[in-house]
Amino acid sequence: MNTTKQWPKRALILSRLLTRAFFSNNSTSTCSSPSPTFPLKHVTRSNFDSALVELRSHVRAADFVAIDLEMTGVTSAPWRESFEFDRFDIRYLKVKDSAEKFAVIQFGVCPFHWDSVKQSFIAHPHNFFVFPRQEIPLDGPSYEFLCQTTSMDFLAKYQFDFNACIHEGVSYLSRGQEDEARRRLKSLYEEQLVNSSHNLRETMDVPLVRVADVLFTERMKKRLSEWRDELLQNRSRGPQDQGASNDLNQQFQTVFFKMRPALSLNGFTSHQLSLIRMVIRKHFKDLVYVRFNGESSSQELVVFTDSESDKDKLVEEVKNEHYRSTEMKIHAAVGFRHVIDLLSSENKLIVGHNCILDIAHIHSKFLGPLPLTAEEFVSCVNKYFPNIIDTKILLNADNILQRRMKKSSTSLSSAFSLLCPEIAHGFKSKVQSSQPCVKVEVHVDEMRSSDWNSGAKHEAGYDAFMTGCVFAQVCSHLDIDFQLYSTSENLVQNEKLQKHMNLLYLSWINGDIIDLRTGSRTAEFLGSNILRKRFPRILYKNIVLIWGFPSKLKPSVIRECICKTLGPTSVISIYRMDQTAVFVQFSKAELVLDFLILKESLERSDDAISVLHPLSQLLEGGNTHAASYETYKDICESPVSELLFADQAEAVGIKWKTKLLPSDVVERQEDNHFHLENALDHTPETVEKSKIRKAEDVVHDSSNKQLTCDEIIDSLLKVEKIRRTTNL
Amino acid sequence: MAALIPRRLICTKISRNSHQHQLRWSVRQVTKSNFNDSLHDFHSHLSSSDFVAVSLQNTGSFSAAWHRLSSFDCPETAYLKAQRAADRFQLLQFAVCPFTISGSKVTAHPYNFHLFPRDELNIGMPSYSFSCQTSYLTAMAQQGFDFNACIYDGISYLSRAQELVAKVRMGNPIAIHHVMKPSSTSPSVADTIFVERVKSRIKHWKKACADSSSRKTDEALVKSLRKLVLGGEQYGSRPCMTIDVCSERQVQLVLEMLGEFSDDLVALKIPTKGGGTQAVRVVLTSSMEDKSLFERELQNVEEEQNKKIRGFREVIDLISASQKPVVSHNSLNDFSVIHSKFIGPLPVNMDEFLCSLRLVFPHVFDVNHLMKEIGPLENVTNVPAAISYLKNRFFAPIDMEISHGALLNEGKIHGQTVLRICHLFAKLCSLLRITPGAIQSSDDNITSLLDGYANPFKSCSGSSQESVDGGIRIWTKGPRKVGCKHLVFLWGFRDSLSAGMLKSLLQGSHDVFSEEFDVCLVDKSCAIVVFLQPNLSQAFLDIMSSEGISGSLRELVSEGLRAAGYETYKRACSLGYWEADLASSLDKASATPDCFSQSGSETNPSEVYWCNDLMINLGDL
Repeated sequence: MNTTKQWPKRALILSRLLTRAFFSNNSTSTCSSPSPTFPLKHVTRSNFDSALVELRSHVRAADFVAIDLEMTGVTSAPWRESFEFDRFDIRYLKVKDSAEKFAVIQFGVCPFHWDSVKQSFIAHPHNFFVFPRQEIPLDGPSYEFLCQTTSMDFLAKYQFDFNACIHEGVSYLSRGQEDEARRRLKSLYEEQLVNSSHNLRETMDVPLVRVADVLFTERMKKRLSEWRDELLQNRSRGPQDQGASNDLNQQFQTVFFKMRPALSLNGFTSHQLSLIRMVIRKHFKDLVYVRFNGESSSQELVVFTDSESDKDKLVEEVKNEHYRSTEMKIHAAVGFRHVIDLLSSENKLIVGHNCILDIAHIHSKFLGPLPLTAEEFVSCVNKYFPNIIDTKILLNADNILQRRMKKSSTSLSSAFSLLCPEIAHGFKSKVQSSQPCVKVEVHVDEMRSSDWNSGAKHEAGYDAFMTGCVFAQVCSHLDIDFQLYSTSENLVQNEKLQKHMNLLYLSWINGDIIDLRTGSRTAEFLGSNILRKRFPRILYKNIVLIWGFPSKLKPSVIRECICKTLGPTSVISIYRMDQTAVFVQFSKAELVLDFLILKESLERSDDAISVLHPLSQLLEGGNTHAASYETYKDICESPVSELLFADQAEAVGIKWKTKLLPSDVVERQEDNHFHLENALDHTPETVEKSKIRKAEDVVHDSSNKQLTCDEIIDSLLKVEKIRRTTNL
Repeated sequence: MAALIPRRLICTKISRNSHQHQLRWSVRQVTKSNFNDSLHDFHSHLSSSDFVAVSLQNTGSFSAAWHRLSSFDCPETAYLKAQRAADRFQLLQFAVCPFTISGSKVTAHPYNFHLFPRDELNIGMPSYSFSCQTSYLTAMAQQGFDFNACIYDGISYLSRAQELVAKVRMGNPIAIHHVMKPSSTSPSVADTIFVERVKSRIKHWKKACADSSSRKTDEALVKSLRKLVLGGEQYGSRPCMTIDVCSERQVQLVLEMLGEFSDDLVALKIPTKGGGTQAVRVVLTSSMEDKSLFERELQNVEEEQNKKIRGFREVIDLISASQKPVVSHNSLNDFSVIHSKFIGPLPVNMDEFLCSLRLVFPHVFDVNHLMKEIGPLENVTNVPAAISYLKNRFFAPIDMEISHGALLNEGKIHGQTVLRICHLFAKLCSLLRITPGAIQSSDDNITSLLDGYANPFKSCSGSSQESVDGGIRIWTKGPRKVGCKHLVFLWGFRDSLSAGMLKSLLQGSHDVFSEEFDVCLVDKSCAIVVFLQPNLSQAFLDIMSSEGISGSLRELVSEGLRAAGYETYKRACSLGYWEADLASSLDKASATPDCFSQSGSETNPSEVYWCNDLMINLGDL
């Protein structure tokens, strides 16, 4: 079992010595002194309770708390990745699918607190290993989660300790599960209670058919009455030697239970125990049969009571005992959710980096099942965490910061190393010289360091620490005086932060932002992220989804097929979803219906003309399906995740080949879109700026002509970047 | 306990011991780092052994209680359940043990391979994602499973089907070994022009290559200019030229044309990502010897690459090639996993699966099935239980002799089950008077001696087999054989109703329940009613759907009680309605129009074993 990673103990001691040395000559110390590294606080089952107590006080004192999660995967199928053709509601469905299917295996929590004396933040990075163990048997499906192979491999590359997670990870119950567990344990107990009292059918009549049973009950009756008589005699005569009664039968042992004499019953079968129970019920008014659930096993006892009232008192006591132990069990099983409850109840500012998925995971794992729409999700999140700030939003919203980041990616690690070079590399960068770096002192247990860097990237605790540092730096850039805003409330109230508060990227690819307070979508800030390539606005009512065509067909060929049929300008763009499916955006909404009707009529007739028809190439194989955009939503909503889109559509149960929407439905949907688009018309320029996912996937000649060389290279670079991040 | 094992360097011989099955034998642990060495040893052990035992460690096997294989499953539904599990869950350990039985002595060579479906070629294979059941992972953790070793160092693999796709997708040049037959159709004008153009290009290029090799004093600039003009490239150290083609027809033409040239040209196909050919690369060799050398080089490169692609599947291929009988404990589950991970996607039905599997593994023994020969339908579900069952009833001592490599890590004891399977199999062989010694003498004997046992899949599907060994399976209190058509699925009753309560509710509700019947719960949402009298099940279903329903049954129906026959259950499985509780799946299935009824029910009168202990079966894990 000794397979868990040994955290470098020697390094730990060394760093402790170093930190001490460092602090003893604090005034003379320079940046060149070796950066003390000690591991951050790893929390597993064994030290969870004590860590939680400490964390409670740290969070209480904190100005803000940075969080980060590591999951077992991100997308359950390639077509569930984020596309530019995803409508707002679809983007939420994709986030929802990811949060529902994958497990959280590490949870980083890092409270930051401003120390006005030291003029520095104090950070307490915690790294929780989490694993959803089924500690209380609940009804319903077994606990199951998905692992994305590339994500697991990625974690392995960063030396993620899977053993610590699975062997020692802290388990949890969501609020819903907790209620369910309480209900279940209560009903279990009530059953028992009923058993011990007088009115359950099963114990009512144990028919004594066998001779052995009759003999056994007689014997038990005798044995119990002897024991009781002896007790009564002892009481009148005072204590006497009990040895004689004990060695009479090893199966009976006189013990004390709740200050009352009791017989502990050992080595009986359940049938025999039920016979004993019956004997007691029938013949002994002053004896109570008790089943006592101990630490590991339950014990059967026969307890002697003085009177009827004493008997009731005993039953009450047993009941309370059981209730307490149930509560303790549930409390223990709630496990990691105590941390979430703590963050929620303390109302602190939560800081994450591109954290929509993190928040969705928190909702689905710790609060309850994710709602069907983004609006409901948002209102629920806002209730539990009224103040969330996303550093990715902050970084992209500010032009000066953008420039300082040299337009490099706003990924967490690059932001950290650019904005906090002193912490990241242990030196002052030249660019930074004008802008003072916010100092961050790290406390882990007894150890403290003002230029700490464990360097364990993609470890949730460290990522949370980096996020917090980036946030602190951005705040100082926004001229937020920590002296003034030393309390969490003030930081939350700060108007410079207010305008970014509770905004999250629903999808980074599209720059679609969701406001947690209102649930409305917001466009990205003007002038932000100049790199983002602008696509003409996507009109979802103009889109047809085609899947199941012959796999050798390239998007360009499909485009050609359709253009030959519906006119050279009919298709605006084609987007390849995977090898089995494409989106086709038409220039006019009517063309959608034209195309679908044409397809259907071609499939129905099999004369020579239809074979020669240019579309027949697309329909080859007889498995080509087409539908309007709404079908895409239906398919995304399904809990199934097949690898290929065509298989997914089949698994969802789509039997038809072409879905012609009744015209009124089309009408209604158009209205919807119109409404949505109208709402966005305040900033028409900035709406729907999109990004190429894969250069070759997009056939987009009209805009390609306008692209400058730089833009093409930029987009290619970005494609590379996305590939790397999504590990395609 | 481990201290009892006498330790020797090469061989550990374990004397007969009353706690034999609890002993910890040493099993060779194989990860990425020692895979190649182990593979070599494994091969020699395999060829010197009579049987191969396998045992698999998966990340899970069912998502909900009713997804487990149960006694009420007919072969089709059993296969569908196994198929679903094999597709969802991942195989993390594959223990293989070639072994030989001679008399009461078993010589075994256990290996335990750690697997992880790493995408080593960056092509999204072997697996995009997989499911994990936390209870499985927790249980593995309790046994000391090292997840880090598995995920960091597990051996990857590709199935046979994936290998074909991977080769195309990687776009490596494919050597063309056979010159295709000249096409029968007469070439069109366009073809002739194409061929002539390519021909002249190649001639020109060859000549230039010959010139440049004679003139060695060229300056670098001139050289590169010439290269640019001629379109020549280097393939390794040899000059080559790429001819772009637009169709397979043109590939054919180029190859035919090349055949007319002298023999010093080697053609390679450059595939596109989609599977077609985008170009033919022509490599110029300096002589006949050089040509054969080059061809050998190509072959070696391909071999090397194939090895990398196949990974662990090499072991499966070796077992398959050896044609040795494979012994497993839970053959349907194990082999559906093996098929889906190492051969190809699982076929839609059991028959195709068996056909496909038989091509790879002609002889399969299931110890579970053999157990039934001894104690028909004894409820012995795991290997240790089976061993102790046999130990308590029969005297059949077995000596286990385990060989293992010199390097053995004491802490690594995973893969014990495979040895227990060897042990159990040897015991069963001696009890069933199967003489494995005869197997070595002639191959025919395998079929004649073991045929009755060698196809566990077939015999569970039944009707033909039943005539041979049927009849004895109806016990008074124990399990009995019941036709599928006597089963009725019942759902929509109150929560937390026990089988007994449900039975008593039904008993008085209608006349059909006046005869003997049985009720058991599948999960908390659904129960099965077994009618022991013929035609009563159909009568009950008719009543449930008729207007004239009355009495307390009507009351139950109005409370939501629903019923369906076995066909609906089959349909739920085959349509993939794997909901968390059987009731919702049956609801969905009965709402779906019946499109299987003609083909399904009448042709396969399948039977299941009805077992009174069903509830216990479902509960224990």
